[in-house]
This record gives sequence, C-alpha cells and structure tokens, in this order.
Amino acid sequence: MSTIVIGLSLSFLLFLLAAGLTLIFGMLGVINFAHGALYMLGAYVCFQIVNWTGSFWIGLLVAPLVVAALGGAMEIAALKPVYERDHIYQLLLTFGFILVIEEAVKIVWGLDYKQVPTPDLFSQPVALFGSQIPSYRLFIIGFGATVSLALFLLLERSRLGMVIRAASSDADMAQSLGIDVAKVRTAVFALGAGLAALGGVVAAPLVPIELGMGFSVIIDCFVVVIIGGLGNIRGAILAALLLGMARAAGFTYAPEWVELITFVLLIATLMTRPAGLFSRKGRAA
Amino acid sequence: MTTSHLGRLAMAAIIAAMILVPVIQTSEESLNLVSLILIWALFAIGFDLIFGMAGMLSFGHAALFGSGGYALTLLVTKAGVGFVPALGAAGMVGAVMAFGLSIFALRVSGLFFSLLTLALAQLVYILASTKLRSHTGGLDGIPGVPRPELFGIDFYDNRNYYYFLIVVFIVGIAVMALLRASPFGKALQAVQANDVRAAQIGYNVQRLRQCAFMISGFYAGVSGALLASLMFYISPQMLHWTTSGDVLIMTVLGGKGTLLGPILGVAVFEVLKEKLSQYTQHWYGILGLIFILCTIFLPNGIAGLFARKAAGRPGDAP
Amino acid sequence: MHRRLFMKTSAAAALAAGLPASPSLAQAPADFHIAAVLAFSGAYGIIGKDMRQGVEIAVAERQGRVLGKPIRISWEDDETRPQPAVQKATRLLANGAQMIFGAVGSASTLALQSLADQRKVPLLVTISADDKITRVGGSRYTFRTSNTLGMEIRMCVEFAKARGLKKIYGVTADYQATRDGWELFQAEAKKAGIGIVGNDYAPLGNRDFSVIVDKMAKSDADGIAVMITGNDAVTFLKQSGQVGLGKTKAQFGPVLQDETLAAAVGPASVGVFSGVRYHFSVDNAANKKFVEAYRAKYNEWPSSFAGEAYDGMSWWLDVVDATKSWDREKWVEAFRTSTRENSVEGRKVMRTCDHQAAQVGLWGEVVEGQAPLPPLTMKITNTFDAANLFEAC
Repeated sequence: MSTIVIGLSLSFLLFLLAAGLTLIFGMLGVINFAHGALYMLGAYVCFQIVNWTGSFWIGLLVAPLVVAALGGAMEIAALKPVYERDHIYQLLLTFGFILVIEEAVKIVWGLDYKQVPTPDLFSQPVALFGSQIPSYRLFIIGFGATVSLALFLLLERSRLGMVIRAASSDADMAQSLGIDVAKVRTAVFALGAGLAALGGVVAAPLVPIELGMGFSVIIDCFVVVIIGGLGNIRGAILAALLLGMARAAGFTYAPEWVELITFVLLIATLMTRPAGLFSRKGRAA
Repeated sequence: MTTSHLGRLAMAAIIAAMILVPVIQTSEESLNLVSLILIWALFAIGFDLIFGMAGMLSFGHAALFGSGGYALTLLVTKAGVGFVPALGAAGMVGAVMAFGLSIFALRVSGLFFSLLTLALAQLVYILASTKLRSHTGGLDGIPGVPRPELFGIDFYDNRNYYYFLIVVFIVGIAVMALLRASPFGKALQAVQANDVRAAQIGYNVQRLRQCAFMISGFYAGVSGALLASLMFYISPQMLHWTTSGDVLIMTVLGGKGTLLGPILGVAVFEVLKEKLSQYTQHWYGILGLIFILCTIFLPNGIAGLFARKAAGRPGDAP
Repeated sequence: MHRRLFMKTSAAAALAAGLPASPSLAQAPADFHIAAVLAFSGAYGIIGKDMRQGVEIAVAERQGRVLGKPIRISWEDDETRPQPAVQKATRLLANGAQMIFGAVGSASTLALQSLADQRKVPLLVTISADDKITRVGGSRYTFRTSNTLGMEIRMCVEFAKARGLKKIYGVTADYQATRDGWELFQAEAKKAGIGIVGNDYAPLGNRDFSVIVDKMAKSDADGIAVMITGNDAVTFLKQSGQVGLGKTKAQFGPVLQDETLAAAVGPASVGVFSGVRYHFSVDNAANKKFVEAYRAKYNEWPSSFAGEAYDGMSWWLDVVDATKSWDREKWVEAFRTSTRENSVEGRKVMRTCDHQAAQVGLWGEVVEGQAPLPPLTMKITNTFDAANLFEAC
C-alpha cells in the first residue's frame, strides 16, 4: 500500500515536471529543450526567496511567476522570428537558451550547492499503511492533483483555453476572428515556463539544487510527454501515473532495472501508438 | 538551398585552407584541433545524408558513432584485428546498427522518427553504461584505444595521424559527393520533397531511406572509431544523446542539405569552443548566445552566406 | 615552433634518462607549465573551484616558483567528461606543459592516464578515488596523493565494527567502482560477523530514493551503508531525512558527507557518518599554516577538495624542486619513492608499487557548528591506521 502512495507522489512530481513541456509543444509546436533549464531556474529562484523571506510558500507562489515573465521575454525576443521555420530551428534556439540560462545561474548563484529545506508544515512523516510516509510526499500528491485539474479545466473547459486551442490549430483563422495570436503564443510560452519552474520549486526540498539538475530531468520529461501523446495534457497526467507507479514497483523489486524498463515502455509506445498511449482519435499532434 | 558555383568554390577553398593550416603552422594545437574537425566533419556529412538529403532528423546517431568506436577498440585490443580492417568493420557495425534502428524507427515518420531514434539510442547508452559494463568498461570507458600501424609509420605521432585522417576524410567526402550527385541522391531528394509522389513514380521509399540511413551509419561508425583512436579513449559518453545533439547543431549551423556546409559548421563549432574557453570562463553562455543569434539571423547556416540571393525562403529546405 | 622545441626536449629527456649528465639548466623552459584539467562547470564545478584555490595557496607558498622558474598553470574545464579532458590536456601538452593535474571525475582521470603514459608526462591526482587509477603494474606516470575508494570502504567496515552494528542495509550506485566497493564491504563485514539484510542498486543520477528508504525503514537493520556519492548522496539523505531514517539507524558511507555536501543536504545531515579525505580541523603545524593562509585569502574554510589539492601539489612541487632537474623521468623516479612527513593530514608515503600514497584514514560525523565554523561541519571521530586500510603490494 505504501508503495502506491509513494508511486502517486512520483507520478504527480513527474507530471509537474512535464506539464509545461507538453503544453508548449501542443499549443506552439515547439520542442522546448530549455525546459530543464527553466526547471532549474525555478529551484534557484525559490532558494533565493526562501533565503530572503524564510517562507517556502512565498517561493512556491513567486518563483514560477518570475520564470514565467522571463519565458515570455524569451518568446518575444527569440522564438517569434522562427515560428514559420522548421521545428529544428526552434530546437536549436532553445538549446542555446540552456547554455545562456546555465551561465546566468552560475554568475548569479555561483557553483556551490544550494538547498531548500522541507517546509515545516510537512517536515514530519505520517504513519500510513504500516510505513512512515513523508508528509511532503502527500503534499505533492494533493498539489499535483490540484494543478493537473486546474490545467485541464483551463485548457479544455475555459474560454481562454478555447482561444489558445483556436490559435494553435489555425493561427490565420484565429487572427481573422480577432484573436491576437502573437499575444496568445507569448502567454502560452510564459505559462509553460512557469510550470517548469513550479516543477523545480516542488522538487527543491527533495534534491540538491545545482547546475546539472535541469539537464538530468529533461529525458524524464520527454518520456512522460511522449507516452502521454505530444501536447496532450490529459495524456500526460495518465502517462505520469503509469510511469510513476511502474517506477515505484520497479524500485521495490528490481531498482537496477528501472531505467531500462522506462525506455522499453517508451519504445513500445512509440512503435505501437506513436501518438501516445492516451490519445483520442484526432488529438494526435 | 542552392549554393552558387562560385560560393561552392569559395567554401571548398576555405575548407582546404583550414585543413592545411597545420602543414604551415607547426603548433600541435592547430594539429589537434584540425584532426578533431576532420573527424567530426566526416560524422556530419554522413549525418546530413539522411538529415539534409532525405529529410529525416535522426536523434540516434550517437549510438552509431559510439558503436563504431567500441567496435574498433574491441576488435583491435581483444581480437587482435589490424587497425584498417577494424576501421572498416567499425563502419560496418555503424551500418548494421543503423539497419537495426531503422527496422524500428522507419515504421514511424516525421517527429516520431526523431523521438524513436532518440529513445533507442538512449537505450543503447544505458545498456552500455550498466548491463554491458564487462565489455564497455561501464561509465569509466576503455582507455588505451590504439592508433593504426601501417608501413612502419608511427601514427601515435599526432602529425602522422593527422595525415592519415586527411586521407580518410578525402575518400569520405569524394564518395559522398558522388553519392549526392548520383541517381540515388536525386531519388532521396525526391523522397524528401514529396514521398507520396516519389512512391507513385516507382521509388521504393522505405528501401531508399533504409539505404541512406545505413550509409550514414557507416560514416558515423568510421568517424566514431577515428575519434576514439585520436583520444586513446572511449566511453559511453559517445553514445549519449548529447552527441547526437552536437552533430545536429554543427550541421544546422553550417547549413543542412549542402555537402560543404556541415564541415564549416563543425569547424566553427569546434574552433569557437576551443578558443572561447581559453579566453573566458563564461564561454558556455557566449556559445549559447551565438547559437541563438545564428538561428535567428542565419536561417540557412553558414553555407547560406555563400548562396545566391533569393534562393528560396529563409529556412525553407532545401 | 613550440612543437619542435617540445620534440627536442622530450627526445633529450628520453636520452638523458640513460646518461649521467642531466640536461643543463640553459635548456630549461621559460616556466614550469602545469596543465590543470578540472571541472569548472556543472555539478562538479564547485570541486574544481576549490581545488584551484588549494593549489594557488601551494604555489603562493613557494613564491610561485619551482626549479628557479615561475609556475604557470593553465586551468581548463573538462565539463566532467572524458573527451574534453583528453582534448584540452592534449592541447596543453602540445604547448609544452610539463605535467597534468586532475581530473575530478574518475572517468576523466582514467582517460588522462593513457595520454600521460603516451606522452610520458606526470599526472598528479588528488581527488578521483577509483581504485583502478593506482594499481600494481599500472600507469608509470600517474600518482595519487588522496584517498582511494577501497580504503574508504575499509573505513566503513572499521566504523561498523567500532560502533557495534549488527545488521546492515546497503544502497549502492549502479557503477563499477561502487559495486566493487559494496562487494568488498560485504565480504569484510561478514568476516567481522556483521549481517547484511539487504542492498539495492540504484541507477546513477537517481532522483528518487523514497521506495528504497521505505524498505530500509521497514527492515531490522541498525546501519545503513550508503555507497553513493555526490548529488545522489545528497538526494538520498534529503529524502531519508524526511522520514527520520537516521534517528533509528546509523547512516554512513565512504564519501557520503563533507561540509559542501552537508550544506546541500541541510539539517537532515546531522548525525550522518562519512569518510573524510582531508579536514581543516586536523591538528598539526602544516595544516594550521595552510588553513590560516587559506582563510586569509578566501575567507572560507578549506574543503576536502582544496586541502587534498594543496597537499598533493605542494608535496609534488617539493619533490620536483629537490631533483634540480628538468628531466621528467627524474621527477617520476623521485616521487615514487618519496615520503611526506609533514603533510596536512600527517604522514603520507608514496607506495612505489602502485603510486598510491598510503595515509591515515579520517572518519567523521556531521554536527552543527558554532561560528566561525560552518553551520554544518564534520567532527573527526576516528582516525584509522594506514596499515588497516591498504593491502600490502
């Protein structure tokens, strides 16, 4: 039972990491390689805020906003000129961003490790199903579920979501209907960047905060996004659940095979249902 | 993208001049740098055969590159095969790996091809760094990769090895030039332009793609083997997806779909890395800025500078 | 031009090895050029920075000179990857560097070894701990003045015995050196009558240990052996801290904690035991002098990376200076039989058989420090004798 709870926490953490990536791909058609760098930036900004204010919660609120603003600026300055070109140019551009962001973080915060302590409210473990479960894990489950629901509602049920989807499926048509497509794109990229930072903030009490942290999550993010179906938020939620549970089971019985299992799952998905395990017809990217 | 005759001549002249720098300037530094450029250039022109000519973005070339390196290392050190046969075998291993990848990857197209090749290559990387560690040396790799022994020349001397590389490079680029001009090359371009129409006029599209992928794999295998030999060292790092990313960046930077563009891309990339890191600690960020600016302002890569005016929409390939 | 000069001097050096007269100082290069290939970016960047600071103290102490010439150091970033390490070292050697210092990661160091042997230049290692780096019949030109993983594993066993631990649960990075380390630990622990109740191999770069921590918490182990280092060790301790694993079980490992890593873990690191490579609290005159100089210059306590780098480099430079020769073979011959009586960690003896410095093993516990000490600092609890930590050659 405890494995299921831990698996759930892994799942929602994975979802938080990957949500921004799939959002940006789904709505803009851009593979954002800098996603991991934005995740790292989120963790560093959170560290800074915790250092100033002593409150993790302010960091959770403010860091994603800061990074979202930066994401918006990146979109306006660099991505705008290359939307009409092949995917590959956007990929290259975001790769350039990785280097620039890492350098900036190095200049601002230096090379040494930073740490964000577990917030006091969730620092004690809880006894559940015969295990001591860190209460921070329970927070991740609750928070992750809330964010995923909110995103789902925003994109699928709200008017704003409708505008975004319209702009992504036919920019010219949306433009002629009076939607400012350029603004929508900037907003979507900012939202995606903010989500990446949110992932970084939530992960901050669990991992060391260092320059390589973004690099190491990017492949995990891709796995979730691909299994869920590129650009498919609902699919990403389900894929994160599948993968999180598979990993929890893997760590219980055969930890050294976990990575291989992940990739076999990924390859099987791409071979059999390239549009994602959880895609509905016509939803494939 | 079309480059003019004059432009191509100019590019060829620049490349030739660059390759010959170590002959005139005797510092070992330029020798080492140009050797590195020759090897990566061989990798990049092979990569561009499927990326620029056939329009398939493979993110799995690291697996082909690295397995070539491992093939050479193991054949020479464990099986006692001579260097030159082993180099050929490394190319074959690259081609066979490409064939293996293509069985899976060619079932899907477009972006999914890229993602599937990435995933398969990453699987190879994980296997090599963990489960196959008894053969690959795990993450520590294998030190002491040999150099050729031919005609009594000491190729452990970097200058001699550099001449060896020039020979391999010239053969490689000549074969590639012939291939691109051949009916095979034209057919690949037809497939890239419109695969449905190409199939309708009688091309076996899948077979063509598979062939191109294998030839590309051969180039990757040979260049991987040469790099391991230059470094006296091989590790699974060569199989990591970032290696695929590097060759992609070099190719796009230089100009995809051209024979000489990728070579210039490799040269600029390597020289920038090497020189920037000597002058500033912040070379990493500066390199990033240069990528960003190039992407925005040089849509056809460096080769685009040598192109005729109004040769197609920016970024529109080919 | 450089190349010609380099070829000439190395040819001369090769000849001179068999001749009585050493090359005259008239032929000596303009300076003593060290190719320092370390990590200055990414996760290990902090290690490179500290090592550089340590070396700079060692150089400053001798007024920046050796063999009567100024010491020139080229600092290069290998990005913790073997290929750039070899590439950059090759370039520096081509430009006339007389020795290599580095690298940080063991994979880079192993790669540099082939280059050092090929080019016949000394390679000084003060951080990479993989046992393979110094072995009998290994590289003639490689020397390590710092700890090996093997000796740190033996310290773990000594600690488990001294602490009276009965049952151990292990977590080991899925990496050759740590796997070998765990095998060694298991064998030695069994000899000492200590039971092993479990072990999990976690992938390198693993970011979630919660399931493994849960298994450990449920087991009846009284000791947790953590055969993981660097980032992964920080991740493990942060996550085990969230369930208070350390309250009931002693967490220890070969290179689990130092001040740098403890700062990354935060309060959860208190009470964790670890092998310590160098520590600023070691009480001897040489160390006091070094710590004082280091604090005066950088306004911080020297880390284990800084201390080991300082120690190795000053030992090496002293030996080189004493040869009064620019013949690299002479340096190698002199260093392989040298002893450092007044090292900052006490006595160190270079073992001629494998070029590994035999030395005492420091073992410590993370405690809360009072200013001016860092907020989390290592307290040295045990000092193990070299005889128990190294196998005879």
